[in-house]
Amino acid sequence: MTAATETRVARVATRPSSATATRAGRERLVSWAFLAPFLVAFALFLVWPLVHGLYLSFTNQSLTGAGGSWVGLENYREALTDATMWRALRTTVWFTVVSTIPLVLIALVMALLVHRGLPGQWLWRLSFFMPFLLASTVISQIWVWIFNPDIGAANSVIGAFGIEPIAWLQDPDTNLYAIVIATVWWTVGFNFLLYLAALQNIPDQLYEAAALDGAGPWRRLTSITLPQLWPATILIVMLQILASLKLFDQAYQMLIGVSTDTTRPIVQYIYEAGFVGYRFGYSSAISYVFFALIIIVGVFQMTAMNRRRSLS
Amino acid sequence: MARRSTMLSRRGLLTGAAAIGGTAALSGGLSACGAASATDPDQIQFWTLLSGGDGGTMADMIAKATGSGAAYDVKTTTLVWGEPYYTKLAMAATGGRPPELAIMHASRVPGYVPGGLLDSWDVSRLEELGVSQDDFPEDVWRKGMVGENVYAVALDAHPTVMMFNPEICDKAGVLDSDGKLRATESPEEFVDLVSQVGGVTKGSPPLSYGYLGDGSQMFRLFYTFYTQHGAAMTFPQGGRAEIDDDIAVASLQLMQRLLDGKLALQRNDYAAALAEFATGRSGMLFTGVWELRSVKEAGVPFDMTTIPTLFGTPATYADSHAFVLPHQSEVDEHRRDLTYQFVADLLKGSYDWATAGHIPAYLPVTESPDYAKLMPQSNYAQAVQQVNYDPAAWFTGSGSNFHAGFGNAVQPALMTGKDAAGAVDAFRTRINGLLKTQNPVDPDGTWTS
Repeated sequence: MTAATETRVARVATRPSSATATRAGRERLVSWAFLAPFLVAFALFLVWPLVHGLYLSFTNQSLTGAGGSWVGLENYREALTDATMWRALRTTVWFTVVSTIPLVLIALVMALLVHRGLPGQWLWRLSFFMPFLLASTVISQIWVWIFNPDIGAANSVIGAFGIEPIAWLQDPDTNLYAIVIATVWWTVGFNFLLYLAALQNIPDQLYEAAALDGAGPWRRLTSITLPQLWPATILIVMLQILASLKLFDQAYQMLIGVSTDTTRPIVQYIYEAGFVGYRFGYSSAISYVFFALIIIVGVFQMTAMNRRRSLS
Repeated sequence: MARRSTMLSRRGLLTGAAAIGGTAALSGGLSACGAASATDPDQIQFWTLLSGGDGGTMADMIAKATGSGAAYDVKTTTLVWGEPYYTKLAMAATGGRPPELAIMHASRVPGYVPGGLLDSWDVSRLEELGVSQDDFPEDVWRKGMVGENVYAVALDAHPTVMMFNPEICDKAGVLDSDGKLRATESPEEFVDLVSQVGGVTKGSPPLSYGYLGDGSQMFRLFYTFYTQHGAAMTFPQGGRAEIDDDIAVASLQLMQRLLDGKLALQRNDYAAALAEFATGRSGMLFTGVWELRSVKEAGVPFDMTTIPTLFGTPATYADSHAFVLPHQSEVDEHRRDLTYQFVADLLKGSYDWATAGHIPAYLPVTESPDYAKLMPQSNYAQAVQQVNYDPAAWFTGSGSNFHAGFGNAVQPALMTGKDAAGAVDAFRTRINGLLKTQNPVDPDGTWTS
């Protein structure tokens, strides 16, 4: 009884400002309503799988619905002592190293060439970027043909220089590099576009002033262009490392049936453990080991960037 | 004015509502129609992994079975073979509403059963339809059993075989008077025979065998030689792999000896090896019976035989396409009756299946006079009596990671011709690791046969 009375008193007391309060309330409601579609999808497809995956990694859950008993850290113990897991992780890291370098350098060179004004600039821009628009399935098909040891274009090209034919995708010594070549062709256009945009943002006066001071083209490149591109380079390297770490689809599609230990990326091993081996619990545990690696890479990048920012 | 517009909008609304209602009624009618066919009480859902020529042959066999006033109708779903097929089948069985019937590789059955993914066959019901254990080669029938129950009824056996080009082999003088390849009983004799053929195929190696990146292809030949020693390989769950090291090394060494660059290319893949033989560049090919049709279409003269017994015991690596009943939570007995009938009809009509190269498992077919006349199929029909499947374990079987794992362990030794013993060690380490892991379809180990 007393509580009810108090409430009524409180309501009466706030009445003068109630119009604004209602409006604020309504605005808050509206903003939540706008956010809701995203939040629902975010919670359903990102937060929940993250949490549930973490839970699964502590169980022996099977794809077939069997199992699900708590096994504690057993999956992690197995993962950390699993030679195949480490090998797959090494493959992914090595791929990231050998693909990021050409993907950044070639993109830079292409952007510089196009920016300097090669004739038919739009054509270069289009043809450098076009492969990026293709689906991974399409580029895999194309490159499987190019790398065909008998009738592929790759062997014809190196044959013209007198090099013996290579079983690109079949030979475990070469197939990861074949994937690197295909990936560079496929995705270099994106980095190229970022570089081109950055180049166009460099103020012309810098070049004009340098030219007046007698700086030649090489000097202008090393003293103006490259330093000015540095922030873009950091961004591109960061994005590229993350993209390369995700290696799966093109490698899986191009090496279908050729699964060798030397070329199995970690994401494929996660897939194999879960969907071929039916071990959801174990496959979740490997995912989290990989997740830890990505966090470490992320922290390194952030520190590197922050240090640079504080220097400048 | 205002009134008019209200009227109009109301009329518009009514028209719209009628249109929507009509569409709904129409689509309702259509979907009811669809539902009727999906619940056709006589329709059997059948999943297969047979594509290409095999798929066409199977479609013809089904058409024949359903054409002659059969009591059932069959709806076939063909899925890409390998991992995707087995994953989908497992998930469908987990959901409790899988197809009535599916084809699996017999070698995959032991890994599936403990998850409760398959229902067992009622042997007496099969017998009533004229299909009994006696109608199958013993090993083939037994491969479908787990414990005391029959979970898979084999349609065929598809062994690894040897193809040879009779023209080239005749020129090399290695054929006997009735055109068969001269019998060889030891690695030395076989190597001699191959080198003799090499005298004719000058310039290119006489034997084609592709294995690069193809663990299955490596295991097929390796296990053929291994079991020809009369040895077995057992993988006890939770224990350690029992592999006879000396025999395994000897088998690998024979493969290395053949892959010396002169008898066979040291580094060759499956497709290229097949092309060598199909274009008449080589005289012999190690492959599976399933390539019969593609080699025939290539137009090159060829014959087929079992891989010669080089270590004393006739043995050949094989697998079987087998019929299984994916586990249904609610079994429709009428449909299940029809499924038994359908399987019996397909087995009895499996002469047609032999045209695809596979050896029908149903003996009344292979023992028929018609089959004896079927060439070259009847030349390797005895292989069905000497089949060896993948060692039973949850992780083995066609399309599993086991073959890829074997390939990873052994390929370096084949490519370099060195360290066969190291390859066997690597293989054993892999298997021992897998044996420590519970079958993932039964992770708590609760299943008993």
